[in-house]
Amino acid sequence: MTRLAAAVPGAKRLGLVIDLDTCVGCHACAVSCKEWNSGGEAGPLLDYDPHGPKPDGVWFNRVHSYEAAGQGCSRTVNLPRSCMHCEDALCVTVCPTGASYKRAEDGIVLIDPEICIGCKLCSWACPYGAREFDEEAGVMRKCTLCVDRIYDKSLPEAEREPACVAACPSRARHFGDLADPESRVSKLVAARGGNDLLPELGYRPTNKYLPARRATIPTASEAAEQSGDGGGVGVALLRLLDRVLSR
Amino acid sequence: MRPAVSVLLLTTLTGFAYGLLAWTGVYAFLGLLPATPHFATASTLLGLVIASLGLGASALHLGRADRAWRAFSQWRSSWLSREAVGAVLTYPVAILFLLALHWDHEGIAARLLGVAVAIMALGTVFCTAMIYASLKPIRQWHNSHTAPDYLIYAVFSGALLFALLHAVVGGSASIFVIVPVTAAIALLAKRAYWRHVDAQTPLASLASAIGLPKDVEVRPLDAPHFTENYVLREMGFTIARRHSARLRRLALGLAFAAPLFLTVLAGLAVAPLPATAAAVACAALGLLTERWLFFAEATHVSALYYGRAA
Repeated sequence: MTRLAAAVPGAKRLGLVIDLDTCVGCHACAVSCKEWNSGGEAGPLLDYDPHGPKPDGVWFNRVHSYEAAGQGCSRTVNLPRSCMHCEDALCVTVCPTGASYKRAEDGIVLIDPEICIGCKLCSWACPYGAREFDEEAGVMRKCTLCVDRIYDKSLPEAEREPACVAACPSRARHFGDLADPESRVSKLVAARGGNDLLPELGYRPTNKYLPARRATIPTASEAAEQSGDGGGVGVALLRLLDRVLSR
Repeated sequence: MRPAVSVLLLTTLTGFAYGLLAWTGVYAFLGLLPATPHFATASTLLGLVIASLGLGASALHLGRADRAWRAFSQWRSSWLSREAVGAVLTYPVAILFLLALHWDHEGIAARLLGVAVAIMALGTVFCTAMIYASLKPIRQWHNSHTAPDYLIYAVFSGALLFALLHAVVGGSASIFVIVPVTAAIALLAKRAYWRHVDAQTPLASLASAIGLPKDVEVRPLDAPHFTENYVLREMGFTIARRHSARLRRLALGLAFAAPLFLTVLAGLAVAPLPATAAAVACAALGLLTERWLFFAEATHVSALYYGRAA
C-alpha cells in the first residue's frame, strides 16, 4: 500500500540523530552499513567492478565533506547522508506497485524487493538522493534503519541499534524514537537545536542533524579583552609587556 | 535528469497515439469522420498500435519488466499506476467504439463512445504528465506548465497524424486548419515553458541541504566516492548551455514550425500527402528532441550534495 497510513496514536517514529559537531567524517558508518547489508537479511548489497579502475555500487549511506564559510575562518562540515524516513515520503506515494512502503508502527520506510519493478520513480521523488538502484537485481535499494538488527531478540539488547550507529567512533550517531519527547534522541534534538535537511522541500524528515557548535575557545588574552579590563593589574602589566615585546 | 531512450519513446509515441485516438473520437462525436470505409478503423487501430509500441518501450525502462503487472495496483496514490490503468482501459473502450461504428456509423452509441475514447486517451496523457509534474525535487517538472504542455503536444501531434490519414483518403479540410493552429499553440507553449524555467531560482541551496542557514557559503571539499554512482548518473545529468540553446532552436523548428508550414501547404492543396508525411516525420524528430531536452535540462535537488546545479 503506497498511500501513507494515517498516524497511529502512540506509534513510534524511529530515526537517527546525527551530530555534525562531533562527526569526523571517517566513513566508518558508511563502511559498517555496507558490511552489514551485504551479509544481513537485506543483502547482498552489490558492487560493480569492486577491484577495477572504476569501482561503483549500491550504498545506503554516503559521507560528504564540505567547507562552510564562518566568522573569521571557514570550517569543515562532514555530512553523512542516508534515508531520512520522511513523514511525507513522496518516494512511497509515487510507487506504482506498493513495493515502497512506510511502516505505520515505527515509521521506517522500506522496499519489498520481491514486488519492486525497478521503475526508478521513487529515486526521482527523493530530494536526498537516498535511493540507489541495483542494476543486477533490477530493483531499488535503500537504508532499512537496520530493521533486521533493531528488533532481533537474539542480539544482546545493547546491539539492537543500526550498524552505522554501533560503528561510529566519535558517537556522532544516535538512534531512537523521535515521536517520544522524553526519549534520549528527542532531548538531544531539543537541547542542541537539531534541524532538518532541506526543510523547504517539505518532506518532514524524521532524521535530525545537530548543528556544529561555535568551534572557538578564546585564548587568555581574548578572554580578557572580552571581559573588558578584567584581570586586574597583573594582566594589564602582561598586556603591556606583550605590546612592548611584539614591537 | 538522464534522458532514457525508453521514456523518450514512451512519452512521444503515446502523445501521437492518444492524440490520434482523441481526434478520432471527437470527429466521430461531431459526425465529421470521412465516409471512406474503414477510415475510423484504420485511425483507431493505428492509434492503438503506436500506443502499444510506446508502452512496450517503457517496459524496457523497468528493472523487472516481468513484474510490470504489479503497476496497476496503486492507482489511489501513484500517477504512474494511474497511467498504466488508463493505458490498459483505453483498449476495451476503443474496441467498443469500433464495434459501435460498424453497427451504426453515425449512431448515438458511436458518438458517445467517441467521447469516451477521447477522455480515456487524453486522461492517460494527463496521468503521464502528472508523473513528472508531481516530483517536487525537480523544479523544471514540478510546475503548472508540465501537465497542460503534455496535453497540448499530444493534441497537436495526434492532429498531425489524423491529418496524414485524411491526406491519404483526400478528405476533410477542417483538420488542415486544426493542425497549424495546434502547432502554433504548441510552439508558444514550449517557449513559455522555457521562459518560465529559465527565470526559476533553485529550490534550495547547498547550505540548506546540509542543515545550515540558507545563505551560508558552502563548497564541497571531499566527495563520498571518486566515480559516478547511480544518483549522479540518474539525477546529476548536465548539459552545456551552448548545446541546449542549439537544441531548443532545432526542437522548435522541427516539432512545430516545419509541420505548421507544411500542413498549411497541404491545406492549400500543394502536394497534400507528401507535405503531411514530411510534417509527421519532422514532428516526430522534433518532439523527440523536445522530450530529450525536457529531461536533460531538468535538475534534481539531490545533485546539490555533489556541488552540481539544481
